[in-house]
Amino acid sequence: MCWALWLFTASLAGCSRLLNWLPDHRTPVKKSLKVVEKPDTSQKRTGKPPQGPPDLAVVKGSDPEENLRRALERLGGIEKFVKRNAKVVIKPNLLTAKEPEYAVTTNPLLVGALVKMCYEAGARIVVVLDRPVGSPRLTFEVSGIAKATQSAGGQIKILTDRNFENTLIPEGQVLKSWPLAKDVFEADVFINVPIAKDHSLATLTMAMKNLMGIMGGNRSQVHINFHQKIVDLNTLVRPHLVVLDAHRILVRNGPTGGSLSDVKVANTLVVGTNQVSVDAYGATLFGLAPENLLYLILAKERSLGEINLNKLKIIKENLV
Amino acid sequence: VKLYRYRRYFQTIFLIFFFSLLTLTVWPLGQIYLGAFLLANPLIALNSLYNGVWKMEMLLAVFFVALPFLLGRVFCGYVCPLGFIVELTGPKKQPLIPTNLRKVLLPLPSFILIIALIFLLFGSSFYLIFDPLSILTRTSTAVLYPLLDKLARFVGDWLYLFKLLQGTVDTVTTFLSGKFIFQKPLSYQLQLVILIFFLTLILVSYWVRRLWCRHLCPLGALFGWLSRFSLWGRVVEEDRCIKCGKCESICPMDAVREEGLVTDKTRCQLSFECAEVCPTEAIHFGPKPKKAVYNPSRRAFVTVSGLAFLNAIFIKTSLSQQKKLFSLIRPPGAQEEPSFLALCCRCGQCMKVCPTNVLQPSLLAGGLEGIFTPEMNFNHAYCDFSCYECTKICPTGAIELLTLQEKQRTVIGRAYIDRNHCIPWADFENCLVCEELCPTPKKAIVFQEAKVKNFQGEVVTLKRPQVVAERCIGCGICQFACPVPFKSAIEVQSTSLALLDQS
Repeated sequence: MCWALWLFTASLAGCSRLLNWLPDHRTPVKKSLKVVEKPDTSQKRTGKPPQGPPDLAVVKGSDPEENLRRALERLGGIEKFVKRNAKVVIKPNLLTAKEPEYAVTTNPLLVGALVKMCYEAGARIVVVLDRPVGSPRLTFEVSGIAKATQSAGGQIKILTDRNFENTLIPEGQVLKSWPLAKDVFEADVFINVPIAKDHSLATLTMAMKNLMGIMGGNRSQVHINFHQKIVDLNTLVRPHLVVLDAHRILVRNGPTGGSLSDVKVANTLVVGTNQVSVDAYGATLFGLAPENLLYLILAKERSLGEINLNKLKIIKENLV
Repeated sequence: VKLYRYRRYFQTIFLIFFFSLLTLTVWPLGQIYLGAFLLANPLIALNSLYNGVWKMEMLLAVFFVALPFLLGRVFCGYVCPLGFIVELTGPKKQPLIPTNLRKVLLPLPSFILIIALIFLLFGSSFYLIFDPLSILTRTSTAVLYPLLDKLARFVGDWLYLFKLLQGTVDTVTTFLSGKFIFQKPLSYQLQLVILIFFLTLILVSYWVRRLWCRHLCPLGALFGWLSRFSLWGRVVEEDRCIKCGKCESICPMDAVREEGLVTDKTRCQLSFECAEVCPTEAIHFGPKPKKAVYNPSRRAFVTVSGLAFLNAIFIKTSLSQQKKLFSLIRPPGAQEEPSFLALCCRCGQCMKVCPTNVLQPSLLAGGLEGIFTPEMNFNHAYCDFSCYECTKICPTGAIELLTLQEKQRTVIGRAYIDRNHCIPWADFENCLVCEELCPTPKKAIVFQEAKVKNFQGEVVTLKRPQVVAERCIGCGICQFACPVPFKSAIEVQSTSLALLDQS
């Protein structure tokens, strides 16, 4: 009996060593997001407003769900993105454990509405995931995202080391590979749902910066040569749909906030398919021009998206 | 009904109860009071009461203070989870102990009680590191739960090799995350010391059956002292007793005197193993048992208390006491250092409930008497701004109960930037991780923009961080997240006035 126990313990320990030797996390793997439909690659635009669906839908109104429904309708309906039996991954901004009114994390009403709409469009499974800075349990619960997701029928997913895989970033100039969440690449649809916030290093954090949440490893290192690294990441990960939550925006002391006097009620929702363009519009909500954000300029240089708002087809609607 | 025959059931139920409460001691703490076992502990409650802390929950302890007056040390035999573990791991049969050794061991509980009393008078709760419930809570927190966490991880990693099971593993992991499996594997400093501490008392109890419970446990000593007035207990019918001595040799607590007729009430835990072996069935539970108790002689009393006095003076005035480290940071809501050391029972529940694992048992940072008290280790983790569970769970009042708003204003330390290591100051590159994560409503870390020439001669605009002392609460997230390798370029130091006074 005793020696069997020893043998069992020893073999368990040996096996765990073996697991460490598995080459999973060593060599970067090539991956890309699944293509829903052919992305619009024509970056050169003439002065004329282009034909076809709009680039951005901007809806103003106090109810996030209503705003979302209207905006997606303008972009051609959620069915265009979420097909029947699709697996959807939603990435909100879950920085730290703060109540939703402090505008540090994405509005739970919006996330809940999005989960609901994905199911209405026939999605098989909707997963809401992020890698918060602090304890994920606290962050998911305090921010209200866990409750909103689960009551809409979705699943939350707390990422662990198993879910990250060292991924090659072929177009990366500084960031050539990094452990990224596998789920994003395995999903049929990846939806980025950031909140617009002030940020000392990035000036503003919106859709592009929100993708840091799918990064594993030591993210403090990303802050050195930050703008270039964010753009590098965005060359690989280009979400199918971007929903920018600007119902309550944090205008000072970002990104962690903590004071209601720093929160401005903007009651705006910006939806698009190109996150560079979404961020370019988002900058105007803070009274800034897109050119004030270094990472937008860099993204423009690398033809990731249009930042000149005059060249974008934007539909604005006011529901108030 | 012979209730003592169901003693194992009582013990099992209380052991399961103890570990369920401890397992549930995670963020978020609900309405159930999870520190119940430690609050019901009279030794801890009396220590807190003596030091001027009163909580309504301590009424639980009143029950356990009253119990010995009726039934003697029934706690040790039926409730105590550590007692149960000692009993299970110990030998089934009593090895013979030499009479000399027995005589040496006999007065130990009284001496331990005297020593505890003197430490109490000196305002040191050092003796509570020997409290059985405190030992079990501390050992489980520092050794058992990290082990289970790692084990669950290994099992998960293995199952993850099978593609089909990956979804299930992820779902289970998400469900258990922050409750049982943690983002970063749970780990505690002094794990080995705590484990050896625990194993020692198990091992000595292997040498002499239940030696820990019999002679060393301070809680048992307290219960023993209260039990000498007990109304009911082990009664022997003298006309039936044949003085065979079987009861004396079977007794796990060494409580039988005078060939079986008399009971040492300060030891008898009412397990009635003697009744089971008695050939004439002369032993049963009843009122007014014949008692024999050990009372220390005046000489012994003076010697022991004198030694304890010296010991306490030594601990209070030793060099380590004077050389307290400024990196010693107590959890928010902690009393000033002298009161903290007088109250803390070293149970480690605050470390169990901490969701970030920042609370760690300290070794000598708080002086010799501060061993196993909680300290913040900001190199390992940080204190979450929206969490104050440690203030809720503390059974002694060493950490006062705060509201979340109070906690968010409680200053436990202050951050200092080391410009020789800080990236914007030393390497001329932007970083600002500390400023970004600083959780106070008005950021305690601000930055100045500066245009400087780097070594290549280019002019770069840098955002250089600075700490605003009056806003910093010392949560340590800056120190934790600082990307400078090997040594954090921003470190939190203590602001405790008690420490400042001594320097």
